[in-house]
Parts: sequence; C-alpha cells; structure tokens
Amino acid sequence: MNRNYFFLTVLMLVLAAGTFFLNREPEYEQIKPEKLLYDIIQPTRYVTTDQVARFIIDKDPTLELVDVRSAASYDHFSLNNAINIPFDSLLSPNYQDYFGIPGTKVVFYSNDDILADQAWVITRRMGINETYVMKGGLNCWIETIIQPKEPPEDAPYTAFELYQFRKGAQMYFTGAKVDNSVVKKKKVAVRRKKKQKVAAGGC
Amino acid sequence: MHVHELNPRKTLVTVIIFVLIIIVGFLTLKKPRFKYKLSLEQTVELAHDYEAGFHPFELADVLGKKTNNVVFIDIRDRFSYGQGHIPGAENISAYDLSEPKNIKHLKELQDKEMTVVLYGNDQLQANGPWMWFRQVGFDNVKILLGGYEYYAAHKDALEQTVEDISYLRGEPRYDFAEVAKSVGSVDNTQKVANKKPVVVRRKKKPKVASGGC
Amino acid sequence: MGPLIPNGIITGNWDFVIALLLGIAFGFILEASGFSSSRNIAGVFYGYNFVVLRVFFTAVIVAMVGFLYFDYFGWLDLDKIFILPTYLGPMIVGSVIMGFGFVLGGFCPGTSYTAIAIGKMDALLFTVGLFVGIFIFSEAFPLFEDFYYSGYLGNVTLSDVTGIPAAWFAFAFTVIALASFWITMLIEKRVRKNIKEYKF
Repeated sequence: MNRNYFFLTVLMLVLAAGTFFLNREPEYEQIKPEKLLYDIIQPTRYVTTDQVARFIIDKDPTLELVDVRSAASYDHFSLNNAINIPFDSLLSPNYQDYFGIPGTKVVFYSNDDILADQAWVITRRMGINETYVMKGGLNCWIETIIQPKEPPEDAPYTAFELYQFRKGAQMYFTGAKVDNSVVKKKKVAVRRKKKQKVAAGGC
Repeated sequence: MHVHELNPRKTLVTVIIFVLIIIVGFLTLKKPRFKYKLSLEQTVELAHDYEAGFHPFELADVLGKKTNNVVFIDIRDRFSYGQGHIPGAENISAYDLSEPKNIKHLKELQDKEMTVVLYGNDQLQANGPWMWFRQVGFDNVKILLGGYEYYAAHKDALEQTVEDISYLRGEPRYDFAEVAKSVGSVDNTQKVANKKPVVVRRKKKPKVASGGC
Repeated sequence: MGPLIPNGIITGNWDFVIALLLGIAFGFILEASGFSSSRNIAGVFYGYNFVVLRVFFTAVIVAMVGFLYFDYFGWLDLDKIFILPTYLGPMIVGSVIMGFGFVLGGFCPGTSYTAIAIGKMDALLFTVGLFVGIFIFSEAFPLFEDFYYSGYLGNVTLSDVTGIPAAWFAFAFTVIALASFWITMLIEKRVRKNIKEYKF
C-alpha cells in the first residue's frame, strides 16, 4: 500500500479536526464595529417632524413609524399608523419582521430623540438599513406640528412658508374646525410646499 | 486502471495546494481592531444604566478640582470647540474618534481607571458615540447629560442644577393626547386671520436652553 | 468578501457567466475522473470500482472543511450562501429512483453529457431516455404534486436542524469518508481478483 495514502488520510483528519477551533459567528448578524461608528457619526439618520408630517399627509406607503415607548404610552397617544415596538422588546423575534423590508423606511420616535436614537444604534448594529430617527420626538412634534409658533415679522420668507405648512399639518392632525375658505387656502399651501424644499426648523 | 489509483502524487499535490491556501488564510487573517464586548441584550440594558450619565451638577466637583479622575472629551468639531468648551476638555471630533492614536489614548485612560465623559452640543450628538464606546468595551465612558448647551447656560450656577430636572431626557413634556385633542376643538380661524401667534403652552420650565426640543 | 453576488461585489447578471465556467470545470473533472465510462460508474454497485464514491466523498469533505476555514478567514460568509430547500420524503424517494437509474443506465444526468462529449453511443441513448422521462414527469406532475411538495423543512442545514455545530459534521463526514476509502480499497482488491480481463 502506498505510503502517500497514509499521509493524505492523516492530513485530511488534521484539517477536519482543525475546524473545531474555528469559532463561528455569534447568533445575530452584526455589522463591524468600525462600520457602526462610521454610521453613527453621520447625521443622515435624522428626519425632522416636518418631514414626518409630510410623509403622513402624503400617505407615503414606504413609511413605517415605530414607537419605541412603552405599550401604555403608545395606547395613550401615538402618531398615525405607528406600530409599537417597546425599546426592551427590540430584539424580540416577534418584531423582527418589521425591519429590513426593502424600500421601507423605518422611522423611530420616542418622547424625545434619545431612546429612538438608541434603538437606531441597536438596529444598525444588527445590520438593518433604512432606519431613521425623528429628531426631537413627540415633544418636538407637539411644539412644531400641533402648536406651531408664528415666526417673527423679520423672519425670512422660508420661515413663513414652513409656518404655513405647519398650520396646514396642524389642521390635518387635529381636525381643527375652520371655515372653508381658509381650509382651501391651507390645502394649496400644503400642496405647493411639496415641490419645494422646506427649511428644517426648530429641532 | 485509473491513473490516480496507483499514483496518488497528483492528489498529493492538490491537497498540498489546499493546505497552502488555508495557511495563506491564517497568515492574512487580520485581528479585528474592535470587538463587541456587549451583546445586543446588554446594549438594550445600557439605556437603563443611569450610572452612565454624568450630571451637570457633578461637573462642579470636577471644575473645582475636588476630583481629578475625570476627563472630558468634546466630540464637536474644532470650530465649535474653539468658540467655547468645558475647561480642561480635550477635543476629539466625532469623525476622528476611531483614529489609532485616539483609541490608544482612550485605552490609556481606561487603564488608569479614569472616567471619560463625552459631550456634544446636545445629549443626542454624543449619544451614538457613547453607546459605541460602551459596546466595544470602554466601560469607563460616560455621557454628559444635557450636553454642552445646558452647561453653557448654567455654568455659573452648576451646583444649583441638582434640583433641576429639565435636562433629563426621555420624559414627555406634554400630555400628548390631551394637547393634540385640545387644539382640535379650538376654532382658530380668527387667529389665523388676525395673524396672532398661536399660544404655546409650555408645561415645563421655559428657561431650558436645550435648543427647543 | 464572498459570496460575491449577495454582497454586491458583482451584479446578478454574472450568474450565467459563472454558471458556464463552473459547468466547464465540472464537466472537465467528471471526464478526468473517468466518469464518462459507465463501467466506472456502475462499478460501485458491483464492488470492483469505487471511484464514484471516492470522487464525491472527496469533493464533499474538501468543500465542507474548506468552507469552514474560508468562513473563519472572512472570505466567504456561510450565513449568506444559498441552501437548497429540503423536502424530506420526496428527496428520499427521488434519490432511490436516481440510484436505480444509475445502476441500470450506468450514468447520472451530468456524466451522460460528458460521455456524449467523447462520443459514446450508450450515453446518447441514455440522454434520449432522460428527456422522455422529463416529458412523462412533467405531464404526470399533477398526480403527485401533493407528495412533491410534502415534508418541507425550509432552507435548513444539518446544524440548523440538530443544533450540533458544523465542525462536528465536517469531522464526522471526514472520518466516514476516509474510512470508506480504505474499506473500499480492500473490497476492490478482493473483487478484482475474480475478474479476468478488466479494461475501461
């Protein structure tokens, strides 16, 4: 019998035994820490309350609002069509199907933006793309959309435009009763704004 | 009879190539610079870690030289840092955080058991970098609650901020459902027509300088 | 780095180019291993030639062990590779039918083409039969459609089903394969003594 066969057999056994010492990846898929830090320092994940309001008014089908507060807070008040994924259940397998749907942008929000931002960091580490944070959270939502403040007289034109949009959005979300002529005017304002870029204000 | 059966030399050569490829793999294997020390579950718990926040009133002790094991790192850009910063703070812009020399510096601080406090303009700016450092094993890194803006507004009376809770984030400032509803019932046609400013009811202290939201 | 297409290093349009290159390589290896001769292939059932078993077991253990190393080096992400879905019952029945075809016809579908490439008449007949079989299967498909889709387990691997790490399977397969190499070598020797003339 050829001696080479013995050598081959032993070699293959050693190689196969060597695989025991290769530790496989952990159970979750994760992006590399370097990549995570790179993504963290990009401010592109923030969307303003005005942008979110516009998405909702336009009935953007790619928008997926995620409320990371507790279930009780969510039941008390939530944005239109938001789903509730309490922060502590972020890793629960029940909710994983909500993430990573191609062409869908997930926007996290909480009372303000810290918790939503933390949810963003964790989902980003899990390799989920197209996630965003509503800057300022619901506190800012109230201050800009539900109770918009009129800009001072000397404010630039864009500030008034933004204010017009917010007033329109306020009516959309609160159903404020106003006479028809004003509603008409508001709607025009909202539609015209679509074409132009709104200066992000406030938050 | 097939040629390989009596002469396994070709097989031998092939297997040696296979082994060489694996050896090359081991030689070119780079040790990753960073590794996650916290699992995802532990990172979720990080959000509830109240120890990890550095309160503005604690700053008074540091600035008064009562404690000297705290290092502040300003993660804003050079320009903002130049315009004003916490005395004694080092400036490492967020974009340079992962540079080898900065990581080495932070490692040294960790070995010396110094507490590192990150701050940005507001708490949100430093939140991501802070979480990242904790995840890769820098457990001595804390975050300045309220950020630089809150410090700048209160720097003359830091001790008094013990009572103040306005810099704490995550709490609702309004009863959202109530506010959203109350506006709905108001007939504000008149206000719009007269261009009167909408009254904003702020429930918490209006002196908060944390940038609106 | 890999797999190339799921990681976006090259686009999915390269599918056909890669398939062509792999097909050429596969055909070459089949021919070089002597699989274009039905005597070689059927030999495994009569005990005088186990080259089929050796070649395929070698391919399996080299790929298994190699991929585990490649995954460790970061060259190939094993979580992203395509895994053929498992239909347990139909797959067992299918492989029994395949085995019968193997021993009766002396070829498997792939090797019949390599045999045609070197001009074997029996292989030509075999492929005609192959297409007739495909036609009958397609026409009769509604009869056993329910069975065809039964026992679906998803895109699972052995380690997914059992929870045992892949390294154990790689090692176990290697031991089984190497043991079978030695055993079949002895069987071959004994059987071939009784064959007067043996040519390929």
